[in-house]
Amino acid sequence: MGTKQFTGTSGEASATVHLTGPTRLERDRRRTRPARFALALATAAFLSVLLISLAPVACQDESHVVSVAVVQDEPVADAGENLTVLAGEKFVLNGSGSTGIDLNYTWSVYYESRTKTYYGMVVELSFPKPGGSEANLTVTDSLNRTSWDEIDIVINEPPKTFLEKYLTTILFAGILGGIALYLVIVVVLRLRSGQPIVSVSRREKIQLASRRYLVIIKKVLRNPMGLLGVLVLTFFALLAIFGPLITPYDVKDQDPTQSMLLPSKEYWLGTDAYGIDIFSELLYGARTSMLVGTVSAVIASVLGAAVGLYSGYVGGWKDEVVMRLNDVVLSIPWLVLMIIVAAFVGKIDLTGIILIIGLTGWSYTARMVRAQVLSVKERQYVERARAIGSSEMNIIRRHIFPNTFPLIFANTILTVAVSILSESTLSFLGMRPVNEVTWGTMLSFASEASAFQTGRQWWIIAPGLCIVTVVLGFTLLGYALDEILNPKLRRR
Amino acid sequence: MARKSFRRMIAKRLINVILTVFGIMILNFCLIHFMPGDPINNVIPRTSKFDPALKWELKEKFHLNASLPEQLGWYLYNTMTLDWGTSYSLSARPVFDIIMTDLRWTLLLVGISTVFTILMGMAIGAYSAYRRGGAFDITATSTSLFFYGMPTFWFAMILQVSFTQPLFGMDWWPQLPSSGYYDTDRLGSELKFSWPILFSVMKHLILPSLTLAIGFLAGVSLMMRSALIDTMTDDYILTARAKGLTDYQVLRHHALPNGMPPMVALIAMDIAFVLGGAYQVEYVFNYPGIGYRTIAAIGDLDFPILQFIVVIGGVAVVVANFIADMVLMYIDPRIKIS
Repeated sequence: MGTKQFTGTSGEASATVHLTGPTRLERDRRRTRPARFALALATAAFLSVLLISLAPVACQDESHVVSVAVVQDEPVADAGENLTVLAGEKFVLNGSGSTGIDLNYTWSVYYESRTKTYYGMVVELSFPKPGGSEANLTVTDSLNRTSWDEIDIVINEPPKTFLEKYLTTILFAGILGGIALYLVIVVVLRLRSGQPIVSVSRREKIQLASRRYLVIIKKVLRNPMGLLGVLVLTFFALLAIFGPLITPYDVKDQDPTQSMLLPSKEYWLGTDAYGIDIFSELLYGARTSMLVGTVSAVIASVLGAAVGLYSGYVGGWKDEVVMRLNDVVLSIPWLVLMIIVAAFVGKIDLTGIILIIGLTGWSYTARMVRAQVLSVKERQYVERARAIGSSEMNIIRRHIFPNTFPLIFANTILTVAVSILSESTLSFLGMRPVNEVTWGTMLSFASEASAFQTGRQWWIIAPGLCIVTVVLGFTLLGYALDEILNPKLRRR
Repeated sequence: MARKSFRRMIAKRLINVILTVFGIMILNFCLIHFMPGDPINNVIPRTSKFDPALKWELKEKFHLNASLPEQLGWYLYNTMTLDWGTSYSLSARPVFDIIMTDLRWTLLLVGISTVFTILMGMAIGAYSAYRRGGAFDITATSTSLFFYGMPTFWFAMILQVSFTQPLFGMDWWPQLPSSGYYDTDRLGSELKFSWPILFSVMKHLILPSLTLAIGFLAGVSLMMRSALIDTMTDDYILTARAKGLTDYQVLRHHALPNGMPPMVALIAMDIAFVLGGAYQVEYVFNYPGIGYRTIAAIGDLDFPILQFIVVIGGVAVVVANFIADMVLMYIDPRIKIS
């Protein structure tokens, strides 16, 4: 440890030089090792939380309702989605008919290689052991016409250990603890080594960086497109933050007596089929729509940047494989891809829709980042870094990534616009997040209620205009940033 | 020598095309087969006429009992031989027939709304870039941005309602048909060639193609503008100016030829987005094309239709990109293989 050997041969004499004591480089490395370890730990904890929160989680509600629609004059059973329940948990199978026909309901439930039959609309069940099971619903009307449908019920083991039950909490605490530990270790190390907590060079670095950012911000504000974009987005950001606080009515508050009202003094834009004030929904929708747009754009950009950096940097056959996969994703029409993924996910909530848009939207970014990496990779400073022995990771982190970041950033802003559009389209086509109000779901409900034909045109025009304005804001800002950050980088 | 490398280049592209199509098919297979629920439940009609005991026979017939690799083999084989199975929901019509019928209408719609708009969009974009910062540029760019940021389905709805009732009580306002592909009530449901039917088909095309065309026009003109502005900042443009060429000569002989290649690639890539837009337009206008069928198929969980629509869409985009590559090679001799 700490001994460097230089061996050289010249003629017959050979000499070995020993340098004892840790070199400066090693001293530095040793000092930062615990800090790096803590950082790695925190990153690992964060990633595992992400993975866990993405993994399917068993339902923990106490009852599950399976409704059965009866359509047309003939009964048609449609048991709907499959269930996932916990062993020992009570749940309800509820076959409710939606027309006035008298129906006989029969549930035959297959569980543990036995089939039990239950009669009646509502059946309360609980399975003691984990495993798979099937429930078959048959409806018969008075004329002896029958229809049946079945659903699968997956019974999961309930979380037994403390760890399993509170895993998320523990991991979150772990992350916060990790970050705190990291900061403490860094501060203690600096204090012990007699260095100032923030070294002069680092302070200068921060100052330089902040000055650069200020310059960029000034340039954006001086650019007419950028200024307009910033103004529009500021307005909608404020609306997203404060909108839900200033709504005249609560958007979760259904009032059937006040449903489908035309615009009036009390309800500026009228009310929808559930008696919810449309103007309140409009204000509230700013938050959800912007949230969906930004988060899914960030997911898409991070994924795309990772894929692009990887495949552009490693090159060779790995690059080919990744790019072919990318071509596949890029070739399938985006709407169809999204719809299929949505059907795959099943019941969609806000997280679901964010994931759908984020996970399908990365391929364009990946292709662009890769092209940029290919050109940056050949530049001289990268060669220089390689010559002085920087590790691959270091080259990517210190040279390649900073030089592609402006491109990624400007593109993320543009992706937000696309994501908001995607969300509204998905919602309009029926894949809307349950129990959420976004501008897209508003449009979808409005068109279902044929708002135009009944004199409620503002129900459609207002959310649409909001979408157009926000999308315009993001597009303008994105173009302005693109112009400022990447003056000659890309051809678009 | 040159000829040989050119041939190799085309061969490599072709291999890429085939690989991508295979990738699309396999991804498609995985997506559909890992969907939650037993696919057989979607095959079985949910009426009393159906005997549940037939379920096993059907499973046998669709090879649903085989292992996954075997099923993949069957799927690939059937796709290649154009034996695309039968629809679950449309009284067992062959999927191939359904898709081919719908494809005609989508091609008509997309064709009519893109061919002229590409040319027009390029002209508008070129003029905007040529008079950058002028009144025309600012008007055109802001209008384009506005239409580009519009949800297609929303614009379709607005157009639909604007032309089905007298706007603001103006009696002379034109009324256009807003649903379906021709007047089946008046002209009969059998589609055959006759002038009234042709006229009616054209009339029904106006609104859907207008919706698509305006969105696409905005996109193309924006792309053209920025592609040209990019080339306008290159050094050889400065050289051309220094030689004393007029602005028009610079544009015509230096900027346009160099700004064209990226446009070809971008337009080819945009085909996927046009298809996405066509889906929404067809949905709003009840236009019986691929998009309308897709959305209906999703509602009915009609997997045979769904999986081949994905393949068709993917293949269309891949082929468009391939053609764009060929065109690029033709117009830009500098292109090297990437």
